[in-house]
Amino acid sequence: MSLIDGIGPEAAPRARPAVASVKDLRVHFRSKVGVVHAVDGVSFDIGDGETLGLVGETGCGKSVTARSFLDLVPMPPGIKAGGAIEFRPHHTCPSCDGAGCETCDDSGRQAEPCDSCNGGGCEGCGHTGQRTIDLLEISEKDLQTIRGNRIAMIFQDPGKALNPALPIGEQVAEVFFQHRADDLLADAGASDGTEALGGALIQRKAGLKTSRIEDFLLSLPPLRGQRTKLMAAVQTRVAEALAETQIPNPRKVMDRYPHELSGGMRQRVMIAQAIACDPDLLIADEPTTALDVTVQARILELIRDLQQRHRTSVLYISHDLSLVKEVCDRVAVMYAGRIVESAATSSIFTDPHHPYTQGLLAAIPSANHERGRLVAIPGNVPELIDPPAACRFAGRCPYEAPACTAHDPLATTITANHEVACFIHHAPAGDEERPTWDRKVR
Amino acid sequence: MTAPANTVVRTGRDGDDLLVAVRDLKKHFPIREGALQKVVGHIKAVDGVSFDIRRGETVGLVGESGCGKTTLGRVVSGLTEPTDGGVYFGLGGEERRKLDTLLEVQSPDRTDEQSEALSALDANHRVDVMVGDAFDHYRRNCQVVFQESFASLNPRQLIKDIVGRPLRVHREASGSDLTERVVELLEQVGLGRQHLFRYPHQFSGGQRQRISIARALALDPELVILDEPTSALDVSVQAQILNLLHELQQERNLAYLFITHDLSVVRHMADRIVVMYVGKVAEAGPTQTIFERPEHPYTDALLASSPDMKESAQDLQALEGAIPDPALPPQGCRFHTRCPVATPACGWEVDDIVRWLEDEEGMFDELRDVERKSPFEAALSFRSEDAANRLAAALRSDAVPDAMRSAIEDLNTTGTDTRIRFTAVDEVQLTLRSEDHVAACVLNRGTSTEPS
Amino acid sequence: MVDVPAGPAPARITDSAWRVRTRRGGELLMSLLKNPTTVAGLVFIVLLLGMAIFAPLIAEPNTPDAYQMPRDWGALAVPPGSPGHILGTTNVGGDVLYGVVWGARTSLRLSVIVVSLTVLIGVTVGSIAGFRGGKVDEILMRIVDVFLSIPELIFALAIAAVLGPSFRNIILALAVVFWVKYARIMRAQIIHVKENEYVDAARVIGDSPLRIYLKDILPNSITPVVVQATLDMGNIVLVGATLSFIGLSEAGIAEWGVLVSEGQSGISAGRWWSSTFPGMMVFLWALGFNLFGDGLRDVLDPKTESTR
Repeated sequence: MSLIDGIGPEAAPRARPAVASVKDLRVHFRSKVGVVHAVDGVSFDIGDGETLGLVGETGCGKSVTARSFLDLVPMPPGIKAGGAIEFRPHHTCPSCDGAGCETCDDSGRQAEPCDSCNGGGCEGCGHTGQRTIDLLEISEKDLQTIRGNRIAMIFQDPGKALNPALPIGEQVAEVFFQHRADDLLADAGASDGTEALGGALIQRKAGLKTSRIEDFLLSLPPLRGQRTKLMAAVQTRVAEALAETQIPNPRKVMDRYPHELSGGMRQRVMIAQAIACDPDLLIADEPTTALDVTVQARILELIRDLQQRHRTSVLYISHDLSLVKEVCDRVAVMYAGRIVESAATSSIFTDPHHPYTQGLLAAIPSANHERGRLVAIPGNVPELIDPPAACRFAGRCPYEAPACTAHDPLATTITANHEVACFIHHAPAGDEERPTWDRKVR
Repeated sequence: MTAPANTVVRTGRDGDDLLVAVRDLKKHFPIREGALQKVVGHIKAVDGVSFDIRRGETVGLVGESGCGKTTLGRVVSGLTEPTDGGVYFGLGGEERRKLDTLLEVQSPDRTDEQSEALSALDANHRVDVMVGDAFDHYRRNCQVVFQESFASLNPRQLIKDIVGRPLRVHREASGSDLTERVVELLEQVGLGRQHLFRYPHQFSGGQRQRISIARALALDPELVILDEPTSALDVSVQAQILNLLHELQQERNLAYLFITHDLSVVRHMADRIVVMYVGKVAEAGPTQTIFERPEHPYTDALLASSPDMKESAQDLQALEGAIPDPALPPQGCRFHTRCPVATPACGWEVDDIVRWLEDEEGMFDELRDVERKSPFEAALSFRSEDAANRLAAALRSDAVPDAMRSAIEDLNTTGTDTRIRFTAVDEVQLTLRSEDHVAACVLNRGTSTEPS
Repeated sequence: MVDVPAGPAPARITDSAWRVRTRRGGELLMSLLKNPTTVAGLVFIVLLLGMAIFAPLIAEPNTPDAYQMPRDWGALAVPPGSPGHILGTTNVGGDVLYGVVWGARTSLRLSVIVVSLTVLIGVTVGSIAGFRGGKVDEILMRIVDVFLSIPELIFALAIAAVLGPSFRNIILALAVVFWVKYARIMRAQIIHVKENEYVDAARVIGDSPLRIYLKDILPNSITPVVVQATLDMGNIVLVGATLSFIGLSEAGIAEWGVLVSEGQSGISAGRWWSSTFPGMMVFLWALGFNLFGDGLRDVLDPKTESTR
């Protein structure tokens, strides 16, 4: 995977601060038998313009982590048990108006300055000078201005995420009404508010705030023209957004209902909706799991292409390591509520250090394996009810040492940008003595 | 080398190790509409498929969702009755040759003698008509493991009853003997006596799939149909199950029909692969040949879009377009609508124009009526002359694929009507490419080194 | 091969199917008893059933037909607390206590007969429709639709009126009306359950359709029927009492609706007791079974079952 110039983990230290930093995130769940530590101290950064893959098997906490960004974890039974998700929102670059210039690194976006120091750097913003929001702390109302606007999410099953009773066009239009009302008014030529009453009404319409009576008034001749202009402006934007995801004949698709589209098409609509407001961060939660391989390839290509063109940061959640290899710059491997290893994609695949990562990679069937000789990780994922201070992989790990059940391994940097939470010292790659799963298990 | 229309192209070698012969199998599901539930069309889920399964081998059945692979598996397992054609179980080598000779003759041309011989074969070997001992023999020897391990185990039965049920139904064991047989089976799949008296919901996904496998093995079958057995499992658990399946195959000389959409799994597990596309076999042959020297562009596309298959990400190639509606499969080669190397001989038809119009802004709404003389010839009438002219212009330009343009024999516009005629093409048949390797493509890459 | 370890529970080699099933039944009962409203319902039911079963001990019959109200012509409409008539008597000298106690027995008889009849008919019809499908299903369901299009009470009333006033005819009328609900529920359940792969798995094994129905389909689709039957144990007594109240059963039998009817004319004159006590019994009976039925539904819901 080609890394984006200058921001890749192997390049010089990141010039710009991360778009989002998850710090010691803990999300627990109350259950009949006890508190389940579903996410238990997860920390990672998503660099500006970076695609970070979060991989792990069922129940490792990857989806809960992603959903915590937008407060989508049901509480209760969920409990915010601690940590922070710092998010640094951006706005359109003032010098180039989103076209991309030197000052904004061709991204067309620029970080908003910190409220208290106005870009100077203070305690509150971690000396980045950028406005920093803790997504776990802000109110639902503030979150709504971020959701779908600065942070967008696409889900595994677009059939469930789209409203079956609304045509595609209306669903995508909602995003614009919600977050881009001013732009719509400008497009419709109504921003100056020529008529007092009409202007106010049309502004409310653009913000989706009209009541039925107001809607009725807008349908009457004096205001009708403005309303038509506004609706036309929305339609144009929606068609553009759909065209962006390479949907053929977007104007026709806008009139369709979700069930009339194929799975791949629905996922494109979801993506169109997600990137409509040019977000800073796109969270993709297993976006291709429900799709066929041929369609999956198209969607991956699309996400990669959009990410490169818009310089959007992406958090890509998947259970499939081989997919993550296709789209991500950096990969974090999760196991039982923890990140066990994180590194640049290439190093994860060529030089995995954590026994769990090694096991996962070795378990992927390939032509190189003799049939019946796949490496399987023995045992099951531990139940995460009040886990002891020990390595979560202990009990399934072939290199288990006494320390593993007595102490909790912390993430340690092995080489630049490569962190592993494991006690075992691994000899550098190429050393013949290095234990491997194949030798150990077989 | 080109096979005549009704010849069964077999991918199996001759010999006495034949277990299942699938011959020109069709399964069409009626589409009903309206208050009277009138049949308005048929979904051609499986539309003329032939292949063999030999003892002890794994045949991989791959394709996208909706290609008919699951339906085919259900017909082979006897859960669904075929519309036409048949699944033959337990034919000897001699009988197979006899069957194929008989099937080469179209049914109206058959002599009484031939018909009689065929019905005799059917009664003993064709799964959907066999009765008595023959059916009992088939039922014991053909078992299924389903994808959803949760849905395939009765939640109200104990593991002992689930795994012991086949033995009880076929009166093989009862009482404490049954319990011991069940324990034996559980131990073979990596479970044990302690699991006898539990309910399915007390197990993890991988364990439940082991229970399904134990149940399938209870009658010591010769063939197990595996319908996406690991699709719902995590990769590390999948590895456990795949290893187990291989081990059991070695021990019991099982044949597997392995249905999956996952190419890396099928490459690992299968001896031979059948690639299906919209109800038909696109290509079939030994695993290595399919992966290293594919002859069908669809196989190429599948391989190119599967991320596990390659070393570097840059090669990931996506396929254009959507899977065609199996109720109206494309003419000629069914893949021509998405094929990157399509030729004028691939079966370009009127529906291709309709599909093209759908994706063209403002054009589809202009279309008023399509009057078809044949799939290849029609008059399209539009609401405006302009639209008719635009279509005609587009069909002469780069807006449509070169191959499609070259396949047009006649095109003229009068007023709001556009008349068009494509070269009529027969359905593309499977042809032999190398030993045991067939593909249904008009192109021949000639990469195969055919032994003379 | 890499082995999987045992599941969460420790291995119990001595287990038997019987033990596991009773343990499961026990667990079910325990979760049922965790809900206070369910317990309240159960208490009402036990009390009322106790009253019905021990009726001859609580109120000794002195007429040849114990279900007939004994008449004390010497004590017409005496208030509660009178000697020999703890709950008073009706206008025509019927002992209210006797009516209340034997009314429970009448109600039990009514609800048990009607529920078993309707469940039997409904489950059979629903099963045939759902399992066979096609034309058979089409015809049966149209019949059900016709039945469902008429309101229960009015339909029962019409039938009972045509058959003539008697308690036996009320039973008949209710049975005719109430089976359709079960047919509907059962059919919907079966259509859903027969899609499960374990049904296919049983077919692949070679099991007969009847055994597949009995082992795989029926046990997995009967739960809502059980819940509905529990609720109907209460509802049927309510509807039965209504029919009796408007005079569709014989006068003078020990039935709560009849008693309420007998006492209603006295309410304006201050003689509240002969309507109130039997009325309360109807209420408690219906409440008891409804509370218990709701609790049962929560516990038997397959979702809560599988996530344990």
